Amino acid sequence: MTDRFHIKLAGGNVAFDCASDDTLLRGGLRQGLGLAYECNVGACGSCKFDLVDGEVDDLFPAAPGLKPKERERGKRLACQCVPRSDCTIKIRSGEEYVSDHVPRKMQARLIAKRALTHDISEFSFATGEAAQFLPGQYALLRLEGIGQARAYSMSNLANADGTWQFIIRKVPAGIVSNALFDTLQVGSELELDGPYGIAYLRPQIPRPIVCIAGGSGLAPVLSIIRGTRDAGGLRGIPQLLYGGRGPGDIPDIAAMLSVSGVEAGIHPVVSMPELAPVAAWSGDVGFVHEFVPKKLGQPLTAYEYYLAGPPPMIEACVRMLVAEHNVPSTQIHFDRFF
Amino acid sequence: MDMVSVCKTDEVAPGTSLRVEIDGLPPLAVFNVDDEFFVIDDTCTHGDASLCDGEIEDGQVECPWHNARFCIKTGKALTFPAVVPQKTYVVRVLDGTVHIEKND
Ligand SMILES: Cc1cc2nc3c(=O)[nH]c(=O)nc-3n(C[C@H](O)[C@H](O)[C@H](O)COP(=O)(O)OP(=O)(O)OC[C@H]3O[C@@H](n4cnc5c(N)ncnc54)[C@H](O)[C@@H]3O)c2cc1C
Ligand code: FES
Repeated sequence: MTDRFHIKLAGGNVAFDCASDDTLLRGGLRQGLGLAYECNVGACGSCKFDLVDGEVDDLFPAAPGLKPKERERGKRLACQCVPRSDCTIKIRSGEEYVSDHVPRKMQARLIAKRALTHDISEFSFATGEAAQFLPGQYALLRLEGIGQARAYSMSNLANADGTWQFIIRKVPAGIVSNALFDTLQVGSELELDGPYGIAYLRPQIPRPIVCIAGGSGLAPVLSIIRGTRDAGGLRGIPQLLYGGRGPGDIPDIAAMLSVSGVEAGIHPVVSMPELAPVAAWSGDVGFVHEFVPKKLGQPLTAYEYYLAGPPPMIEACVRMLVAEHNVPSTQIHFDRFF
Repeated sequence: MDMVSVCKTDEVAPGTSLRVEIDGLPPLAVFNVDDEFFVIDDTCTHGDASLCDGEIEDGQVECPWHNARFCIKTGKALTFPAVVPQKTYVVRVLDGTVHIEKND
């Protein structure tokens, strides 16, 4: 049975109700509060809080988002703690964390699975109600029998039919990605909880858009590029730099975008051309961040950036943009795929 | 060059920091590293957090929010997600008072 507990934010009179099977972060976001977060999976540390009063259960005590020293001092992660009683917590918050579409848990049925490369597939799910999210956001998918949820970014746009599309990489020995590829059959259901995420398209900002993605980071940037179609004020054709290990890791991005009728400059980069299966690679070789200055026509401060992919790639890109090219951090939005 | 008095040296024990607010300046963080005093901006260049709430170790301070580390002496951003250095100030200690040079 699920109870509901009353969670008070210290130092004010803001409070929310949280179900005993919901984490404090998600409980707060569902009620329209802007509790600080990024990854939702215990890795980034953005949702740290102090428990002033009450009792919680920590679902992931080994989560890398907190250092052992911080745990000793009583810090916890709001995305990994569920309430066991009424609580008072001290947590950061801000307007930028308030979700345009309040996240909700839904049952979703797998309606199609389509291979894009040897280890990346597109998964399409249907929910009984409209799919509401901003381009670039993600959802948490939870499979029956696996306690842990994982974050996956949507690659399509919000729609009335309730279709949610994801582009997922099969991670060697990964629990959830392998279950999605091997166990989940078309017609089966899982729990979809969303939308979440703060690296969404800012359509009110007119600067031309540059998307940089690597590995499994294609989904959110495709959604953002697709989203520019309905955002009339944006200037210029969006540019996408996509990095993969070998030539076989690069999906046919142009074909995926042409189906949705959007134009983009597409710049694939591979770091290990020797992985070429048959035909040799004649394109760019190196790490994707190295090609950003070469591919863009204007000073790098002229653009708005959306990044998704492995944490080291994001770090290299942000360093290059901010430290070498003086791009204000406020022009860079990213999701690290922990 | 204006000298601005920031705090008394005995207000900041070795290995600790003190947050000081002075009119016309951003919040400051005064550090005592082995009896040497350093002053840098207190608000992390990455997120809106006070470095004076952070852990001090080996001449570095760690932001309490995202654990980005900065060199206390040079302000250099040492770990992600911070990439922009903290502003540092030239420090003069006179008669038990920590001063900084204020250049506009
Ligand atoms: C914001 C965000 C968006 C993402 N979007 C995509 C995407 O669009 N496409 C894609 O392919 N991948 C995406 N990922 C990565 C994805 O969420 C998974 O990390 C990846 O699929 C590997 O999961 P796995 O279960 O197969 O691997 P595993 O190796 O089994 O799991 C790795 C992940 O599980 C976490 N974990 C380990 N133990 C626990 C526990 N006890 N409780 C909770 N979590 C635990 C780890 O911290 C790590 O994040 C995204 C990640 C984030 C954070
Ligand atoms: S949001 Fe909780 S650790 Fe990232």
